[in-house]
Amino acid sequence: MAGLLLSSSDSGRRANGYAILHLNLFRKEPLVAAIGDIVRFESVGMRYRLGVEVLHDISFSLAAGSFHFLTGPSGAGKSSLMRLMYLAHRPSCGSISVFGRDVSTVPRVELAALRRRIGVVFQDFRLLDHLTALDNVALPLRIAGAKEGQIRDHVAELLRWVGLEEQSDAKPTTLSGGEQQRVAIARAVISRPQILLADEPTGNVDGEIAIRLMYLLEELNKIGTTVVVATHNEALLERFSHPRIRIENGALIEHGHETAFDPDAATI
Amino acid sequence: MMRPPRDLPLSNDPASRYIPWTVGLLVFLATLSLAIGFFLSSAGENWRRSLSGTLTIQVPAGPDQQAFTGSVIDLLSTTPGIDAVRRITDDEVATMLEPWLGDEISTLDLPMPVLIDATVRRGHAIDIEALSTRLMAVAPGTVVDEHAVWLRRLTDLAVIAATVSLSVMVLVLLSAVMTVVFTTRTGLAIHSDIVEVLHLIGAKDSYIARQFQIHTLWLAGIGAACGSVLGGSAILLIEVYGARLSNGLLPDITLSGIQWGLLCLLPVAAVLLVVATVGITVKRVLGRMM
Repeated sequence: MAGLLLSSSDSGRRANGYAILHLNLFRKEPLVAAIGDIVRFESVGMRYRLGVEVLHDISFSLAAGSFHFLTGPSGAGKSSLMRLMYLAHRPSCGSISVFGRDVSTVPRVELAALRRRIGVVFQDFRLLDHLTALDNVALPLRIAGAKEGQIRDHVAELLRWVGLEEQSDAKPTTLSGGEQQRVAIARAVISRPQILLADEPTGNVDGEIAIRLMYLLEELNKIGTTVVVATHNEALLERFSHPRIRIENGALIEHGHETAFDPDAATI
Repeated sequence: MMRPPRDLPLSNDPASRYIPWTVGLLVFLATLSLAIGFFLSSAGENWRRSLSGTLTIQVPAGPDQQAFTGSVIDLLSTTPGIDAVRRITDDEVATMLEPWLGDEISTLDLPMPVLIDATVRRGHAIDIEALSTRLMAVAPGTVVDEHAVWLRRLTDLAVIAATVSLSVMVLVLLSAVMTVVFTTRTGLAIHSDIVEVLHLIGAKDSYIARQFQIHTLWLAGIGAACGSVLGGSAILLIEVYGARLSNGLLPDITLSGIQWGLLCLLPVAAVLLVVATVGITVKRVLGRMM
């Protein structure tokens, strides 16, 4: 068990309501061992069952430690592309490599292990309503077989980090949209994913909370997490200057690159 | 302490509420079917053991009955292949007829035949027709009753009935399996959103299947225990009251210790079968996901 990704520090400063922390890694090695493509799509097409192709001839790659916006109008195929990236769907053609593994040849039992290295913030959060905030955040660790004592400590710390320590026993239905979003983020990062995918994470929150969220994602990116944020929020895109992957009508029309992640800078 | 996973709110499923009732009823029926199979199997074996290798000779009532009886016993005693000859006493005959004629048989003054048991040496074949002819010569009207023919039919019937009972038990368990498959698939459909989230977070199929299995183990365990207790009670009642009511007409209907042990294992086997079915069903359904 790799241990929790983040730990808070008393000296951490708070900004915009979120705890902006010194991000100390429990282990010293960086998240990404070597610079390289962590995700690669080659001529990928996708269709749902026997329907029309919603994505066609998509080719791009993401460098480890990069931060990308996935943009495009509603219905362009952003969520479908995200589904392919978080291994929820098979491509109808082409090939997808994640962590250097061609997902079409990875045995089913190993797919679960690959998914544990990918954190996902779903558009509608997809929290489990019958579980408390603490249990929702603990889910990836329990699935990974972590010990209960460790889980409680780590989850409590992460909830404190996202400013929800007081709501740890609250059910998602009693939380506001912003609070649910933070629980979803905490769940996505608790197991220290190498890739963090956020599908329209600002869709259900106001502008200020959206900006706070972006700061949070940038903090995660600074310690080496590859981040992809699907959004059509133009204000957000203008404010944060990360490269864009733009798709329209299921086709890739723009793929901006940025400097690859430097693992030496991962420990802050 | 490791807490059992409860990521799926299965206890709220309407379909799973019927699992204890269904499994309980099916275990009850399976217990009775298995017990009937044991009864019939034991009865057939008892008949075979008590009657094989014997002949019964009836000397009809009449003025010369005593003389004829002596002649028949003499002839049987000197017949090659017959090891022992024994006249069945009047008291034994009265006991045998008691179920039909009551216990006041001696006062009825009925013309009763004399019955003689002859034990045939193991592996020796007696020519029944020739023996009958010889007996008729010394005691006219004498009847030789060979048990082998009707005993074979009776034991064949018992075997068939026992097989049918065991087949019913298997069908009952298959019904339980089908019910559980349906319930599990319903549960997966109801919780498909949560199952997908768990799947995408990195849960293996076995992790999700285990939650269904633990839930079903508890419900099926309760049902199976109740069904088994009810079934066992019914068998005990049949043993106690059946023996009284049949008044000797039916063979002894008691189960051996081993048979009781097997009946006690039935609910355990049923629960294991159900839990294994749940696991296989969940994994098969999840196998269709990426």
